[in-house]
Amino acid sequence: MATVLTLRHSLQSTIAILAISIGSSALAAEAGEQAPNFTLPSIHAEQPAIALEGLRGKTVYVDFWASWCAPCLKSLPLYNAMYHKYKDQGFEIVAINVDNPVEDGLDFLLDTPLDFLIPSDPDGVTAELFEVIGMPTSYLIAPDGTVKMVHMGFRDGDMELIEEEVIKLLADN
Amino acid sequence: MLARMRCPLLLVVCALAVNACTPVRAWERGQLARTEMAWDADGLESALNDHIFFSKEASSGGNSAAGGGCGCN
Repeated sequence: MATVLTLRHSLQSTIAILAISIGSSALAAEAGEQAPNFTLPSIHAEQPAIALEGLRGKTVYVDFWASWCAPCLKSLPLYNAMYHKYKDQGFEIVAINVDNPVEDGLDFLLDTPLDFLIPSDPDGVTAELFEVIGMPTSYLIAPDGTVKMVHMGFRDGDMELIEEEVIKLLADN
Repeated sequence: MLARMRCPLLLVVCALAVNACTPVRAWERGQLARTEMAWDADGLESALNDHIFFSKEASSGGNSAAGGGCGCN
């Protein structure tokens, strides 16, 4: 009897330890849900911090990228062209760099200048908030802050799909 | 007494060991892409080692090198 009690007690403590170690998971940014708000410093030290809430009223395309991620590097110049095409219609791109060290991201930007907002998240705090499970992952966010589309990876033909969704959302608002 | 303590102690050790396991998050995979994280950090050195091994043992394959061990390459 004593052995059973000891075993039960030890199982309870094991479960408790496991529960603490797993921790609580943050809400993922999924289509139809409100995008989590974030404020991050710009990768360019001389530029002001970037807050998603400050872009309310605009159609925002949030993208997570890093210099070691080949599909990300392929997508960014194409995003730059899309940004110039639609920026006058209230379209904004926020490409969050997760490079650690940040200099790796800056090195890439020296060769490929990009004109949209580039916050830096070297510790992945915002990536965790969005529960990013692959690189690159992007989120199309409506002017009211609702996530309209989540796109993971970047393959041939993806740009057309993304632009189509952007045009649709810009037309709706 | 010692035997009775052993079971919960083992469970606590296992729980702590599980705690050390952590997934590499998507945004942390850059660390895995670093050269020092490669299985063969020095490509030239590992190619030379393969060559020496092939010469001494008269075998190939079973390692990262291609070939079936027929002695024809």
